[in-house]
This record gives sequence, structure tokens and C-alpha cells, in this order.
Amino acid sequence: MAHAAETSAAVRGSAQLKSTGRKEPRVGFEGWMMAPGLLLLAALSIVPFIALIAMSFSRVRLLGGVKLDLVGLGNWARFFTDADMWLSWLRTIIFFVLTVGLEMVLGIGIALCLFRVLRGRNILLGLLLLPMFAAPSIVGLLGRYLTDSTFGLYAWVLRGLGYSGDILGAPVSAFAAVVLMDVWEWTPLIALITLAGLSSVPQSVREAAAVDGARGWMTLRYILFPAISNVLLVALLIRSMDAIRYFDIIWVTTNGGPADATKIVPVRLYETAFRFFDLGYAAAIGLAMLAFSIFIARTFVRLLDVRGLTR
Amino acid sequence: MSTSMTPPASPMPPETLPGEATRPPVTAAPRGEAQSPLEDSSRRTRWLVTLLIVVALLWTLVPLVWMLMSSFKNAEAVTAATPQFFFSPTLDNYRNLFSGANNLGPYIVHSVLAAGISALLAVGLGALAGYGLARTHMRGKKHLAFWIISTRMAPIAAVVVPLFLIFRGLGLIDSIPGLILAYLTFNLPFAIWLMSAFFAEVPSSLEESALVAGCSRWQAFWMVILPLTKSGLVTTFILCLVFAWNDYAFAVVFSGPSSQTLPIAASQLVTQTGIDWGQLTAIGTIVVVPMMLAGLAVRRWLVTGLTLGAITGE
Repeated sequence: MAHAAETSAAVRGSAQLKSTGRKEPRVGFEGWMMAPGLLLLAALSIVPFIALIAMSFSRVRLLGGVKLDLVGLGNWARFFTDADMWLSWLRTIIFFVLTVGLEMVLGIGIALCLFRVLRGRNILLGLLLLPMFAAPSIVGLLGRYLTDSTFGLYAWVLRGLGYSGDILGAPVSAFAAVVLMDVWEWTPLIALITLAGLSSVPQSVREAAAVDGARGWMTLRYILFPAISNVLLVALLIRSMDAIRYFDIIWVTTNGGPADATKIVPVRLYETAFRFFDLGYAAAIGLAMLAFSIFIARTFVRLLDVRGLTR
Repeated sequence: MSTSMTPPASPMPPETLPGEATRPPVTAAPRGEAQSPLEDSSRRTRWLVTLLIVVALLWTLVPLVWMLMSSFKNAEAVTAATPQFFFSPTLDNYRNLFSGANNLGPYIVHSVLAAGISALLAVGLGALAGYGLARTHMRGKKHLAFWIISTRMAPIAAVVVPLFLIFRGLGLIDSIPGLILAYLTFNLPFAIWLMSAFFAEVPSSLEESALVAGCSRWQAFWMVILPLTKSGLVTTFILCLVFAWNDYAFAVVFSGPSSQTLPIAASQLVTQTGIDWGQLTAIGTIVVVPMMLAGLAVRRWLVTGLTLGAITGE
């Protein structure tokens, strides 16, 4: 690969860098550079994508070799009429709005607080970022330990405050618990991005605002927020697409229970695919989730376009 | 004066509380007696900020510290009805993890191999493709970029289902190569996109002068541009490593006895008969601490990395 690239570049000569792509219809140096990565990516994404579509119209048999039997729209008909499924989507949306919403609010709050701290800000930020690097499955297991009704630290604290139920055992508190575990892990990401945005607002803008008599809330509302609105939008989108990707925390804590209270769509998909081995129906659910994430990706890329960041 | 500009370093002595003397007359004159409450409120804001930061620190660190502490407790202290804040530390949990029937050693090897190799491959291929993507002027570049990013954002659940079928057909279930390929489904597009963002920061005039100096395109890339993006390479590698190391959703479907990773080992301690929380917190510490150190090592570029290059921090 390196060799091919070298010769193709040598043939073309040196000073053509800017005009190469437009003049040459052939695969240029850039094309050769992209080829190995993109070919592998194509194999890893387009093949499964086609398989997913095929599966969603089939009954998948696993015993005695993988086999697809076409069943037409059966899986899709089931998908649109499954009442449990609609409840799962509703729960997913509530979970999504609560986690991402809380993370945005708390993350921006933490960033604004840190922004006022001048000395030791880096150490504080470093400590506050730690949860982000923890494996979500470990976060879930740790959450289970902390909320265990007999020896959990947080359950003990709550008992002191007068609440003594089994946190992961009751629908509402279990839902709240998994939301909070997600919030614990991912709020730092929002804080980190927001703080970067705040730090990039030029000092002169803030000084000008101060001279004009703006202060406190006014500076925030009319100077800082407008200046970092794009940054906040990026944070929101990045977090949104990961929020629909991960479900490890729920999988290891409640596994969708109690009484389906935390059964969001990805959990139901896993259950359908790998407990009941109904891979055709799972594929239909997967495609619907994919459509949602592509919508978010589209928004993300369009936003970058507007800001001229995709070059 | 905006509260954000008051240096919190030296607490203001009480005599200057009214604050008339410290204000420039220009801004002080029109506001008159509004001064005193203002200073009060800036003071209150500072207290509030400190309080909120303390609360945030507690909320963030208590679970982690508790996990670390519990991993050094003996069986009784771990599941004591009243939380034990003082205890005599023991290494029993860690010792038990590495001796006896379910030795953690192989899990660590699987995790290191699967996460490490997938991260290396992702960065290698991602650097090449990212450079190409950053410099190409081909038509349809936007569509290409969009395809790459949407691959990264695809929900894991939607990827796992068809991959499961394909891997089963290819005999890749319960194998390290299978896990590496599975991790590349999210690490490769991430690395391509992020490296492309890092390369785009390097002005292309640098290559032009390298070409004028007689370099080939490859040499210009290898000897001039790549060394300039060393921090980008390291950041991309570490983030890929963290994503793969932390994976649970792929491993729980694709791995078997000869390829199980650390997060799977942790979840296997959860059994019908009970959970050994001492060992579990010990595994948790082993899984979490290296990634935290790695993540903090590239803190300067984290914003760029985690926003896929959309925002460049500091």
C-alpha cells in the first residue's frame, strides 16, 4: 500500500497538490490512503446493513446452519401492532429525555461553576471527569451495590432520610435509579464540552458586557449562552447519539424489570434476539433504531456544515 | 462588574464590603446605593459556587471511593448492614480473583488483546483514511463523510444482530478476532473521522513545501504531517482503547469461554445464589482505574476527541 502510494505520487509530480482531485478522474493519492480503511469499514457496515434488512423480512433459523426463510412483512406487521413495543418506545423516549435533559442542565451548571474557579480548575475538572471513563456495565453493578436494600451505602443514607424501599425492586424508583446512574456517568462529558465553549468566549466580550453593566444572570443569558449555543448543540447531539447506543447499565442492573419498568427498546431487542432467538423481529427493531440514529447523525453533520467544520 | 471577574483567590476583607472605594467612578456614579447589595450578591454567588462544586465532587467521587474501599474489605465488612467506614484493609478479594477456579488472568489477556489490537488497527487505518479524507477534493466527499459518521452512531443493538448471524456463519463467535472486528465497527469510523479532524488542522501548505523540497506524497505524509499530529494519534488511540475495553454489549453476545473480557467476568459474579461484592468491587477497580488514568493522560485533547473534532478545546 505504501509502495503504491509512493509511485502514484511520483508519477504525478510535485506541485499539483491542490488541483489533483479535480483534474484526475483516477483514484488519487488520497484515494489510495482511504482505500484500506474504507474497504474494511464497508465490509463491517454495509454487509451487516444488508443482512439486517434481509433478516427483517425473514424468519431466521440458527440450528443446523444459519438459514433465512422469507416471511414477507410479518416482522414489520408485528412491529407496528405490538403494544408492548410501543410502551418500550415510550419508555425509551422518557429515559432519553430525562437522562439527556438532566445531563445537559447539570453539566452546564457544573461548567458554569468551574468557570468561576480560577485556581485548581484543572484538578477539579480532572476529578469530575472520572466517571466518564468507567465501563457502563461496572457503573451498573456498582449502582446495584450502592442501592442494595440491606447493605447499600445509598440505601443506608436514604433509610436515614426516611425512605426504606427496595430501590431497584419498585418500578418508579428503579427507573429513577438507572436514570441517575446514566446521569452520574455522562454529566461530566457535557460539563467538559461546555467549559471548553465558555473558555473560548473572548475575554474582551465579557469585559465589554461588564462595562455595559451586564452582570450575573444577564451576562449568562445575553452574552455567554448565545456565544456557546453551537457548542451546546454539539454536546447535545454527541450525548444523544450515545444515549441511544448504550444500554449496559440497565442490562446489568434491572435487566428491563421490575415489571418491564426499565425495558427500553435496546433491552427489548437484546431479549428478543438472544433470549428468544427471534432474530427476524429483532432486525426490524434494529432498523427502526438505526433510522433514529441516522436522523441525529444528519443533524450533527448539517450543523458542522453550517459552521464550516467539515471542510 | 460581572461576578465572574472577581478573583476568588483572596477573600475580600470585611471593611471593603460596601465597595465604593474599589469601584471605578465611571460605573459607580449612575448606580448609587445599589452598591452594597451587589457586593453581597457576588459574595453569595461565590459561596454558592463553592457549595455546588463540593456537592458535585461528592456526587461524583463517593461511588468510586466506595468501590475502592470495598475492594479492600473482608466479606463481613463488604455486606455489613451499617456501612463500614473504618476497617482493616485486606488484599483477600484481589488474591481470590487470581487464584482458584475462576482465575481473572485469561480475562485480562482477552481484554488487553481485543481492545488493544482493535484500537491499534483503528488508529493505523484511521490515520491513513483520515488524511485522505481531510485532503481529498473528490465529489461526494460529504456523502462519504456522512456515511462514516453514521456508522459510528449506529446503535450497538442494531449492529450486533446481523453481526451475530455473520459471525456465526464465519465461525467467529467466541474468538478474539471476532471481538476485534466487532470493536472496529465503532472504533474505525471514529478514528477515521477524528484523525481527519486533526489532519485538517495542519495547513496543507506544509505538504506543498515538502513536495517542493522533493518529497513524495507519502514521504510528506509520513515524515512531515504525521509527526505533527502525534497528540491526535495518541488521543484517538486512547479513546478507541477506552471504548473497546469498556464494551459489554458486544462481548456478552460474541464472547465465549475462550474470549471473555473483564466486564463479562464482572457480570458473571452475579449469580442466582448471591453476589460476591468484595470480588466484584475488586474487578470493578481493575477495569476502571487504568482507563481513568489513560483518559486523564490525554485530557488536553479530550474535548476535540469526544466531540469528534467538532470543537477544539483550549
